[in-house]
Amino acid sequence: MMRDQSCCAKRLKAIVGAVYDRAHSGKLCPRVLEIVRGHPLMAAPCRACIRSAHRPRLQVALVVVLTLSLVSCAKPADDKAEKTGGESSAVFTKNQTNPYFRTVRLGAENAAKQMNATVIQYIPTKQDSIPEQLSEIEDAIIKRPGAVVFIPVDSKAMVPGIEKLNAANIPVVNITDRVLGGQSISFMGCDESSVSLNTGRFLLQKLNGHGNVIILEGQGGSQNNANRVGAFKQAIAEFPNVKLLASQPAAFQRVQALHVTENLLQSYPQIDGILAANDAMALGAIEALDAAKRKALVVGLNGTKEAIDAIKEGKLLATGDCDGFMHGCLGTMAAVRHLRNLPVPKEFIFSLMVIDNSNFAGMDVPYENRMCPPWESVVKSN
Amino acid sequence: MLSRIPGIVWLLGTLLVFFSAFGTRFASAPNVVNIGTQSAILLLLALPMTLIIMTEGLDLSMGAVLGLSGVVLSILLVKGFALPVAFAAALAVGTAFGVANGVLVVALGMPPFVATLGMLGVAEGIALVLTDGQSVVAIGSTLSGIYSRQWAGIPFSIFVAVTAYAAFHLLLYHTRIGTYVFAIGGNREALNLAGVPANRYHVLIYALGGLMAGAGAFLLTGRMSGGHPTAAIGMEFDAIVAVIVGGTRLERGDGWLPGSVLGVLTVGVLKNGLNVMAVPSSLQIASIGLLVIVALLIDSIRGRT
Amino acid sequence: MSSSRRLASAGLSAIAYRLLGVLLIGAVLALSTDAFLTTTNLLNVLRQASLIFLVASGLTLVILTAGLDLSIGANLGLSACLAAAAIKSTGSITIGIAAGLACGIFIGVLNGLMITLLKLPPFIATYGMLWMVYGINYWGMAGDTIYGFPAAFREIGSGYLLGIPIPVLLMTVCLIVGGVFTRYTTYGHEIYAIGANAEVARLSGIPVRSRLLLVYTLSGAMAGLTGIVYLARLNSAEAGIGDPLLLPAIAAVLIGGTSLFGGVGSLSGALIGAVILTLVLNGMNLLTINGNWQPLVTGVIVLLAAGMDTVARKRNEA
Repeated sequence: MMRDQSCCAKRLKAIVGAVYDRAHSGKLCPRVLEIVRGHPLMAAPCRACIRSAHRPRLQVALVVVLTLSLVSCAKPADDKAEKTGGESSAVFTKNQTNPYFRTVRLGAENAAKQMNATVIQYIPTKQDSIPEQLSEIEDAIIKRPGAVVFIPVDSKAMVPGIEKLNAANIPVVNITDRVLGGQSISFMGCDESSVSLNTGRFLLQKLNGHGNVIILEGQGGSQNNANRVGAFKQAIAEFPNVKLLASQPAAFQRVQALHVTENLLQSYPQIDGILAANDAMALGAIEALDAAKRKALVVGLNGTKEAIDAIKEGKLLATGDCDGFMHGCLGTMAAVRHLRNLPVPKEFIFSLMVIDNSNFAGMDVPYENRMCPPWESVVKSN
Repeated sequence: MLSRIPGIVWLLGTLLVFFSAFGTRFASAPNVVNIGTQSAILLLLALPMTLIIMTEGLDLSMGAVLGLSGVVLSILLVKGFALPVAFAAALAVGTAFGVANGVLVVALGMPPFVATLGMLGVAEGIALVLTDGQSVVAIGSTLSGIYSRQWAGIPFSIFVAVTAYAAFHLLLYHTRIGTYVFAIGGNREALNLAGVPANRYHVLIYALGGLMAGAGAFLLTGRMSGGHPTAAIGMEFDAIVAVIVGGTRLERGDGWLPGSVLGVLTVGVLKNGLNVMAVPSSLQIASIGLLVIVALLIDSIRGRT
Repeated sequence: MSSSRRLASAGLSAIAYRLLGVLLIGAVLALSTDAFLTTTNLLNVLRQASLIFLVASGLTLVILTAGLDLSIGANLGLSACLAAAAIKSTGSITIGIAAGLACGIFIGVLNGLMITLLKLPPFIATYGMLWMVYGINYWGMAGDTIYGFPAAFREIGSGYLLGIPIPVLLMTVCLIVGGVFTRYTTYGHEIYAIGANAEVARLSGIPVRSRLLLVYTLSGAMAGLTGIVYLARLNSAEAGIGDPLLLPAIAAVLIGGTSLFGGVGSLSGALIGAVILTLVLNGMNLLTINGNWQPLVTGVIVLLAAGMDTVARKRNEA
């Protein structure tokens, strides 16, 4: 028995060596099965030896070896180069829960179809996860997309991701939120702080610069949150007769905003304005106001469809937006244009909109009907 | 003979074969390296989590503690402290939280779920206060330089993960403390009767959890070139699932450390493979759930539960 | 004294201990701010707590059997979205409510079957279900929200009956029915027995598998019901609304004295846990505590509450 066991071990080593050699000489795939079948290890005495000796380690090793050999036998890399027409771009968005990013993805797909190109959508399975977006970048690089259209989960933390794309020579079009580092061929978006600042100012002007306001903050740790809340506070500072009663977090979530607003309505008998760092929270605040039968002017950010409907009903004063659909359109167009050696501006700042009941018509279009405008009509050549 | 191979190995093998066959360049060297680096931090958390689960506990605070340690590390680097000093501080912070967890669970007898859930809030809170809710960048290039170094094509993080595994394997299977860990989970009274202060070692297990969270912070900060207070929150759930998928059970009190490695790799291979195959995000999310269930179903069917 | 009386009195003093926690927090808040001790605020707190309690009640039953249901948040979200879609497409509130409940029950049954028939550990079965339900939900909602519901339906979430918010009434009904169910029916006793020792329970003739199926179904049903209440309260459904609820629900159950090892606990404890967590948020808002500090405050209160509960339990065992 002992002799048989050491015989099996030696033969296993031999089989591993044979596979390794073949792999190195590049002649692996057709021969693997031959090697395995023809090898003395597969002969009956050794099979019996492995079984009777109960050598789990040998068995595991065998399984691993066979698996690895099959793995290396995989279909040869599909290097069908994608040239003009059929350029593939990777589009990175932050999450699946915010309707804003849905419009970005729709814009990207619309643009790609118009230009006879394709996009692959990358969304973290754990919403807004920084490590996961970093992993997605690495995984995307393996697929060698022509270009990348990128919205960072966090504008500071994703810099190493951009640098990885730069190192892999994949051009990056940065949209919506500016990444604070790395090389992008273009940034197309708005300045988030300006959008928030203008939206805040809009509400305060409607209050004639006089009254009590509260801020509903988003998720702690989010750079967007820091930008938006900072801008709101800056707007408030411009109006000395406006008092900021409280700035409380509601995690960008509707139900939390509802509860927080409910609570704050108890502390403060007079609230004239609510500045919410996103539309979901604004709408939650409105529910709380309705339930308590109190009135206040409310503004949100993102320009979602639901917000526009609330504006139409007169419940929401305004929502600040930088059209996500257009970001997706133009970002993807820019990426494809770059691959086709057409000019792309280094920076394109969309005009931000504070959407209120005077100008919502252009945004109030169902998703199915929105089409990307032609590049030339938006980007004036300089 | 094949029935001796644990189900997780079959599952991992199936995934590898499947993705190699249907995913372009899945089996290429860069992608395999990616899987390794993407899984390394999770492995650092899964190793002590295995020990904790073996003693019928849980540590939900690891992600938040990792974040806090990373924040401490980054802030000290920004202030100009040398890397070893900053790292030592990060490890100290992590270990302190680990010890706190251990004291709450062992000495005070609080249920591990709530105790570590409370500590999660404490760690997250301190991290948010220290950073005012933003990333800490400008940490200089020393750390990211070390993180990106490779030897023979293998990156730094994989070496760290392998070393950590070796250390834990030695600890669990070849030292006295390891036998105590098994005993605490399986038959605590025997340990006490034998005159061994079981409580002390039980606290040590939680302290190890905090320590590894600090070590993980080193890798994550290098990966992100900065510290972020909430980037790692939720990783502990991934670690718990990886450990359970790998063969350790919450109720049984014994565990299999190699299984945790396999569990981490299986999840990493799945996520990577789904991306390489450009599977739509909703389907990716559903697949993760399916994987977890199938992994345990395999064992259940083979009567290993 | 008879064993059931002793059990009851032990339970009573444990409840007293935990109520002490609630009263302490209440006292601190009442002293710190005038806005706390008003009827409106207290009713608000109860209504906010009811959202946690409704889903925690089913969860309590599951945890009593030494199980766990991690899918309640995802379940809540999917049920709300299905109910929303049903109301929008058929115009009927009843169909919407039925759809939501059916979804919740269906997910609960699937969980129960995975655990009883396939013998999967509850942690993994419900965790896997969580991901699968989110996958389906994200795919179906595609990042959108469904909003705008008839006023009659919204009464469920925002309406009052005799001056009491309807969710609070639902909570009270749930507490009473659930309390009777756990303490005075055979089903209840059997659930406790299974949690204490499943093997012994099985040997004593308790149909363990069908009771387990029952508790997971109930947990799913309550998640579905809570989804409908959420929908009515928010007037909007999106895939992720249940996500922030999972950990607080579990925390509420555990702070309230139910043990993850099974066999010990009560619905009233879950209610107290839910109230404590809600009071913390209410207090932080009323005192306008800086957002960065809030997780820290919440974490400390959770530790304190759990600590008090541990002390209470130890005194009872002594």
